[in-house]
Formats: sequence, C-alpha cells, structure tokens
Amino acid sequence: MGNNRIEIPRVQVDDRARSAVKFENIPSKISVRNLNFYYGKSQALFDNSIEIKQNNVTAIIGPSGCGKSTHIRVFNRIYELYPDQRAEGEVILNGENILLPSVDLLKLRKQVGMIFQKPTPFPMSVFENVAYCLRMHYRMNKSETADRVVEALKRAAIWEEVKDKLQKPGTALSGGQQQRLCIARAIAVEPDVLMMDEPCSALDPVATTKIEDLIDELRHNYTIVLVTHNMQQAARVSQFTAFFYEGKIIEFGTTSLIFTNPKEKQTEDYITGRFG
Amino acid sequence: MAKPRSVAGRRLVDNIVKVISGSAAGLGILALAWILFEVFAKGAGAINWTFFTAMPTPPFIEGGGLANAIVGTILMTALATLIAVPVGMLAGVYLSEFGHESKLTVSVRFLANALIGTPSIIIGLFIYTIIVLPTRTFSGYAGAISLAILMLPVVARTTEDILKLVPNELRESALALGAPRWRTTLGIVFRAAKAGLLTGVLLAVARVSGETAPLLFTALNSRLWVHSLAEPTANLTVTIYKYAMSPYPDWQQKAWGASLLITAGVLVMTIVARLIVQRGGSGSGK
Repeated sequence: MGNNRIEIPRVQVDDRARSAVKFENIPSKISVRNLNFYYGKSQALFDNSIEIKQNNVTAIIGPSGCGKSTHIRVFNRIYELYPDQRAEGEVILNGENILLPSVDLLKLRKQVGMIFQKPTPFPMSVFENVAYCLRMHYRMNKSETADRVVEALKRAAIWEEVKDKLQKPGTALSGGQQQRLCIARAIAVEPDVLMMDEPCSALDPVATTKIEDLIDELRHNYTIVLVTHNMQQAARVSQFTAFFYEGKIIEFGTTSLIFTNPKEKQTEDYITGRFG
Repeated sequence: MAKPRSVAGRRLVDNIVKVISGSAAGLGILALAWILFEVFAKGAGAINWTFFTAMPTPPFIEGGGLANAIVGTILMTALATLIAVPVGMLAGVYLSEFGHESKLTVSVRFLANALIGTPSIIIGLFIYTIIVLPTRTFSGYAGAISLAILMLPVVARTTEDILKLVPNELRESALALGAPRWRTTLGIVFRAAKAGLLTGVLLAVARVSGETAPLLFTALNSRLWVHSLAEPTANLTVTIYKYAMSPYPDWQQKAWGASLLITAGVLVMTIVARLIVQRGGSGSGK
C-alpha cells in the first residue's frame, strides 16, 4: 500500500470529483479566523483560518509536529487542562466565538465531541461507559438510558460485537472495538461536531476499515474533523482537506483538488511523499 | 585511536557488581527473615484464645491476655484512619489535579515530605503539648490524632503519586465529553486509580499500627478495659515496650505474642494490598 501513495488517492479522487458540490455553497459549521496558539512562549499555530463545512469530513494532514492536533484541540478548549497553553483569535461555532471566556465549557464540549489517538475506555463496563456519559448530560430513567445506550452502540457499528459483553469491562475489548466504544460514547451525548485525532493510528487495517466506514456513515449527521497521518485515509473518507506545515495552513480545499491539483509546491511534495 | 575494551575486563566488572549487589540483597532478606523467624518462634507460644479474650494479669499470675490492648490499638488506628484518609486524599487530589505546580502546591508537597521524615516521637511530643497537657489526661483521642498526623502525609503523597500515574488521555476524554472537573476526578480518575489508592491507605495503616513513640506520650497505656477513648487507652505497642522491659517471663512472652500479632497484621495488610493491585491492575487496562 505504501508504495502506491499517489495512485490510490487519484482513483478515489476522480470518483469524488464528479459528485463534488460547489465549495462555497456548503454552509460552514466552524469558522476559524486568525487563530494563534502558544505552548508557554513558543508559538505552535500561526494565523490559522479555515472553514469547516457542515456534514462533511474535513481531513487535516501534514507532517508530525505541524500543529494538526493542536489545531483541533482548540475547538473544545481541552488545551485549558494545561495552564501554560493559550489560544488567540476566533473560532466561530454556530455563530458564537467559543474562545470567549464567557463560553460554558461543559456545553461546548457536549457540542464538540472528541476521539483520541489511543482508545480511552473508562474503567467500567461497556454499558456503563456509554451510560455514564448519558447520565452526565440527561436525567432519564433506567429503561430510557438502556435504550439510548443500545442506540449509540448501534450507530457506532459495534452493537453486534458487544451485545453479549455489555457487563464486561470496556478495557477487555479489542483496540478497534474500544475505539468504536469511544465513538459510541461521544455520539451518545448528541454533539454537532466530532473531532478525531488520528483515530486509527493504534489500530490494525481491519479495524481501520471499520472506523473509516463508520466515519463516512456518521458524516450525514455530524460535522467531522479528522486529523490523520495517513494520506490514503484522508483521500478515502474526507471531502475537504487542509494541509498544515509548521503551524501554518498551507492549503485548504476539496480533497479532490488537493490530491490531484494542489496549488502549492509544498502540498504537492507532501502528498507525493517527497517529504514528511 | 579508540582501543576496543577487553571482553575479559568487562566480564570481570560485571561479575564483581553481580556479587556485591547479590550479597547486599541477600543480607537484607536475611535480616528480615531472621526477625520474622524470631518473632514467630518466640511469639507463637503466647498466642491462644485467652490472649485475645482475657484482660492482662499481674506478673506471676498465669493466664490472662491482651484483649484491652488489642481493642485499643484497633480503635485508635481506625479513628486515625478515619481522620487521615479523607484529609490526606483530598490533599493528594489537590496536589495532583488542581495545584498546577503553584507555590502552594510546591510548599504543601515539601511540608508533606518533611513530615514523612519527621521522627514519630516528635509528633508524640507535639500532641502531648497541645492536647494532653491542656486536657490534663492521656487519652485515646490524643493517641489517634498523633497516629493520624503520621498517616496524613503518607496518604497525601501516595494519593498524589498514584493519581499522577493515571494517563492524561483519560482525563482529557472525560473532559471532552463535557464532564465537569470534579466528576472527571471522582468518577473517572479515582476509579482508574482505585487499586492503587486502596493500597496506599492499607500501607499507611500498616505503617502506623506499629508506632510506639507517639502513643507513649498520648494514649499512654492502661491495665483496664477500653471504656472510652477520653482516658488513657491500652494498646499493643506500648504494652510490648512495657512487658519486654519487665523482668517477668510471662510478660516477656506476652510481649513476643503482641509483636507477632502486629507483624502478622502488617503482613496480612501488605498481602491484601498486593492482591488488590494485581486484581485491579488487570481490570483498569494499562
């Protein structure tokens, strides 16, 4: 697979180009304007501006350390766990700048779900992993909770595999199942946006395929931002792609254009595997 | 020019280090085994049913036991645990989760470390001065409080260390789901660290259950039954001190019996702690 880096995206891209909708006509879910980010004194993001389109998958690609993860960690302000990290600029979600201090973080994080690189099931049963998150945000009785848990597990395409293991610890599942459990947990609280930070990098190819199929399915209901190291993956599942390099957004456009006809030399060099 | 090191020389150094570290380990284990053997050999004879159920007898009067001291030690240790565990754990939570390496965090951690290193007799004298003197009586409460002060920094520092072992990804994923900070800490981080926290508490209890010096100035000891912790309270360690120093053979044997009881108690707590870690370790993933 690794040798055909250029071939595979092209085949895919031609397919998508036909169905590609006009860029400007799709409403933005998130508008990032002049975002700068600092780890202590060192700046990690420089003047990022990007439009995350609704009900589409936006892939963020770029070499390690270019700020991909940093960028999406601003969307739910999870970086605030670390007091030396700081963001400046505007991130508009549903018409509201979420970087304002007045924003309710719990509400924001309910709207913006996040899937991490390493699956992080909570130390409780499969069922409780989802139920715990539901109870955090909703008051509901037992049978209602159970229904919602089952629904979330079904939507995360993991129900068939875990329906007999609901009382087993979440950590007893395989890596791919754990990751889908995390996705189930995230969509159970009904977010608008799902951010995925290299969700497949710890998974084998079979599990990766399942997650990718799931992402394609989920985009009908959610807006998805996918950070990935894997360019075939970006080409396979995303409609838009942003190429990051050294904290700057070098190029952003439809995935078909970025992979077939990039405007910037750096983008072309990266997607053809000349560096990164 | 770089000359290759001789293989024979390296092997020699390797063997020397192996012998030195091996014998150091052996010496430590030997000392421990010796103590255990001695305590078991001399104490086993004293342990019988009346040892647990009867009150102490004067010298030269056969029979009798240490029921009051056993109950006193259990009561004071339990009360100390009740005081020290909640406060110590919350302090540990602050250090690990909320302190952000502020000046307060750094000084609390420094003081806790200093307190861990403080000789327990000083804690005893301290409580003697601030509680025993003003109340004009030795009491079980004073004993429990001095034990609690000994436990407090141990619990706080173990809690901090154990919580810091919980990977940040787990905190992040809980927060990313919209969990408030307190819920992330109590519902997720504590649950992930459950086994370690319990172990920390057990080891802290085990540590203070053998303390004599802080009780000598606070709970003192008593020949009487434990009616109230507001009076001088019988306990095993001061009893050992008193009986072992006495010239009476049956008291000396009871001192051995009490030593065996404490040693066995600590051993059991340590083993239980290990079992918890092993069981919890497989349950909580990494």
